[in-house]
Amino acid sequence: MKRRAFLASLAAAAALPRASWADAGSPAYLAAAKEVSGDYSLSGISRAGERLFSLPLPSRGHAATAHPTRPEAVAFARRPGTFALVIDCATGATTARLTPPEGRQFNGHGVYSADGATLYTSEVVAEGSEGRIGLWDAARGYQRIGEFASNGIGPHEIRRLPGSDDLVVVNGGIQTDPSDRTPLNLDTMRPNLSYLSPEGAVLEVVELPELWQNSIRHLALRSDGQVAFAMQWQGDLAEPVPLLGLHRRGEDVILAEPFDAEMFAMKGYAGSVAYTQDGQQVAITSPKGGRIQAFSAMGVPLWSLARADVCGLGPCAEGGFVATDGQGLVARVIDGRLEPLSSASVSWDNHLVALG
Amino acid sequence: MRLPALAALLALASPAMADVPEVISKHVLPGYAAFSKASADLAAAAQTDCAAEGLRDEWNATFDAWLGVSHLRMGPVEEQGRALAIAYWPDPKNIGGRQLDAMLTKADPALLTSEAMAQVSVAARGLFGLERLIYGDSAQISDAYACDLRKALAQDLAAMAATTEAGWTGGYADLVLSAGAEGNATFLTASEGRQALFTQLITGLEFDADTRIGRPLGTFDKPRPERAEALASGRSLRNVTLSLTALRAMAEALAQGLGEIPQTEAAFDRALDLAGKLDDPTFAGVSDPSGRLKVEILQQAIQAARTAAEAEIGTLLGVSAGFNSADGD
Repeated sequence: MKRRAFLASLAAAAALPRASWADAGSPAYLAAAKEVSGDYSLSGISRAGERLFSLPLPSRGHAATAHPTRPEAVAFARRPGTFALVIDCATGATTARLTPPEGRQFNGHGVYSADGATLYTSEVVAEGSEGRIGLWDAARGYQRIGEFASNGIGPHEIRRLPGSDDLVVVNGGIQTDPSDRTPLNLDTMRPNLSYLSPEGAVLEVVELPELWQNSIRHLALRSDGQVAFAMQWQGDLAEPVPLLGLHRRGEDVILAEPFDAEMFAMKGYAGSVAYTQDGQQVAITSPKGGRIQAFSAMGVPLWSLARADVCGLGPCAEGGFVATDGQGLVARVIDGRLEPLSSASVSWDNHLVALG
Repeated sequence: MRLPALAALLALASPAMADVPEVISKHVLPGYAAFSKASADLAAAAQTDCAAEGLRDEWNATFDAWLGVSHLRMGPVEEQGRALAIAYWPDPKNIGGRQLDAMLTKADPALLTSEAMAQVSVAARGLFGLERLIYGDSAQISDAYACDLRKALAQDLAAMAATTEAGWTGGYADLVLSAGAEGNATFLTASEGRQALFTQLITGLEFDADTRIGRPLGTFDKPRPERAEALASGRSLRNVTLSLTALRAMAEALAQGLGEIPQTEAAFDRALDLAGKLDDPTFAGVSDPSGRLKVEILQQAIQAARTAAEAEIGTLLGVSAGFNSADGD
């Protein structure tokens, strides 16, 4: 453990009363961005869409995950990631820097255990892209305390099932060149969605044999445990395929087919997925197609909205969704309408991470 | 009133018309008007005589006109899947062909109205549905039902063209022209209107290089000449040429009043010159090494035009390719 991080965590522990998310201005979301200057950052965004704080990142970020109680977030580098930063969102200080073990790379996502004591990170073995879940001791300065297999190649997002410490991870199936992001196995890839125990035991695996070139990459969870997973099609773009799946432990997958008129609108790519707060709607975004498509939680298409370079997506407390785009817009999106909340001279990156 | 608003917005922009108004008044609106007119002529011709051979000229004229605007994938043409229903291609699983076969077998007279046709799957309709029924197997397309189906498909196509044109003149052009104005929820800043048009130019060039040419090219080990666009009517190369001509005009209009685009113009000229000299109307030559090389060189010339347009016009407009759309996660 780094001395500075240790001292910082001691200082945090000594502070009374303990800092809470309110001390960070109560952000509702976290999002990585590229600034006009070309620098990269992580921002806290309020419910009203205002940027509450912005902290520098050493290189391009991807997603983040928030500690369940402390105003602490971990910002992950874009894959192949060499860092994850633990940030005190109340003070803006970096309290720990996580570096993947030799020969491993972070894949942009992570999640805390329910009690906040353990951080799980999505990782690959650089050579071969075998998936690993890294375990870090979030109670004691983020020491590496273990790892287990993710049950596939190229894991991407990892989440925790609500009210449980069981994990759900999507293995995108794509092996990449260790030095960059070049895919190496698009003809033989085999993605899956895996439910894992906190010790790494495989509890259930979902595969889509007919859609084996549909890389399963992102997740949203409903409070009752329904899992929405977003996919990216690596096959012929002239073939329309569903990009959103819905699943519950022990049940069959529901594939959400868009309206006929919308079947190519996403250009085979879903970048983020989110439920509304009430869990009645689930939507996916495509920056490549400039689209948001929303479905019922049964997978029935409801509406879509055109918005260039849109990608980040989260629930809106007042109903509908909040979306971010590469032009710096934060907007509420409800029933196919766009209501701008704020605009900044930044490019919001792939994900809008909802807190709480 | 929509029309006066549009006229006023266009007038405000003159005499030094630049970029967005220029593109709309000189490229988009005339392009859709021409497509609308050509498809109406096709529908009228089909009403008079729906025999396949007699419709070839009008069908080709309609396809020509479509290529003037086929790269515009924003606004009215994107509503209700119109762009797909107008030109459903590529169709690797031959969904359109199979659905038309089923329609011919069933010969349901209730389908033969433009309202009923509007409910048919997008894959069976439009230019490619008509191509199958004009250039397809003569035994299959010579009966009376096929004749009626051509009539209904032509009417449906003309209706979609008219609705698309009306959508632009009756509101959507205003939205693009008033980008950034209070209450414009589609284009929140002035720059977003320019960005949207610029994106059409770039993705249009990508479609010509990667899809219209890239699909028949396949790989060196597995060329796929059977995947060429509009193979039955033999217009694969013509489609590329006309699309490039339209995209060149759009590039000129986008740069109008802002600056010179010499590299873009030179790259377009080179691509059009290569296309003009290519004696291979359906890219059948992709299967032999020397023929393949010529098609690859054309593809590279189009890619060079995209690169030049991105650099020169992107700089003039102060826009660039999207941040998130540029690559994956």
